[in-house]
Amino acid sequence: MLFRSCFILLAFGPLFAFSQATSKTSDYLDATLAFGKYQGSLAIHYTHFWNLGKSQRLSLGFGGRITSYIGANQYYVTAPAQLTSESTSPLIFFKDNIEKNIDTLLIKSPQVTMMNVSLNIQYRISKKITAGFNIDALGFSFGGKQSANYINGNTGANTQASPTSFNILLISDNDRGSLNSELFARYAINDRWSVRGALQFLFTEYTTETKVQQFPEANDRFRVKSFMLGAGVTYKLK
Amino acid sequence: MKTFILFSFILMMIACQPNNITPTAPVNNSAQPDLTDGTLLKQGMFTGIGGHTVSGTVTIYEKSSKKYIVFDPYSSQSGPDLKVYLSKNEQASEYIRIGPLMSTTGKQVYEVTTNVDLAVYPFVHIWCEKFSVEFARAPLK
Repeated sequence: MLFRSCFILLAFGPLFAFSQATSKTSDYLDATLAFGKYQGSLAIHYTHFWNLGKSQRLSLGFGGRITSYIGANQYYVTAPAQLTSESTSPLIFFKDNIEKNIDTLLIKSPQVTMMNVSLNIQYRISKKITAGFNIDALGFSFGGKQSANYINGNTGANTQASPTSFNILLISDNDRGSLNSELFARYAINDRWSVRGALQFLFTEYTTETKVQQFPEANDRFRVKSFMLGAGVTYKLK
Repeated sequence: MKTFILFSFILMMIACQPNNITPTAPVNNSAQPDLTDGTLLKQGMFTGIGGHTVSGTVTIYEKSSKKYIVFDPYSSQSGPDLKVYLSKNEQASEYIRIGPLMSTTGKQVYEVTTNVDLAVYPFVHIWCEKFSVEFARAPLK
């Protein structure tokens, strides 16, 4: 939530000035390993930036990212906004979840690989330090079918689940599929290479074989929101 | 690729740390309901699944309109997050969670708090919930 709020605030202002930007561009390739509790991810990310303004400190760009996520015994929860917030309005961004509508899907060995187009913003703080934010917007996910335990109070069902195929960034729980986002800082070692640290907020989503959740309405989509710390390297291509 | 394998290995090492281990000491008998004048409804024998060592008898009693599941005798290896399920079939594709396994040894009595039709739920399972592993199963007859 915090990541997305920051991104919206940072992204929309500069977009209006985009047409006046210089044509100077830069391309990067980075690799990041991130770890959380019983989970982790490896992300390879290509980004193309337009460097804006006279000082060219602010850059906006897009990219492509492959993220591979693995975990152990992760508790996925009901995903659709229609259930978590009983609404699909953009205003659900500010609404608390409705706990009674949220059930759990325990997945023993979640493994999801996602390929997404990303939106990016970065600011060069000094000659060596750059900070920024990126978020996946659209793409596809794949991964093997996993055994899963649907838990609803003292009843449940053992079932199978697969990663939700199509990913799209919308607002709050209206999102669908698996999407990665990062708040990062980068320190340049030389003209080409940098090291980077990141706070990663990663959504992964599974769809069960059947609609195991029946109340308040039938549902087969379950999501986990993983907050992880990452470290990696960046290579400046151009 | 090597990095990814190393990363996966580290993750799995972290993930395999056990938790919620079932007690090995027998349950205090005086604290359990006395079912000597209860009605025996169904009975079955535990069989270990997937190489797990489990043995014992499971009996369902009814007393004062309440149903009870009794393990007596009972013995199993320990494990993380072991639960007792009543289910509709061998795969426990639909189940009712009775509660955490009280002990790996000795008599133990579980009250069935929901109104269950035993004709629809004819299996008792010992299930490692956190790791989605079935430890034992007893078909009720």
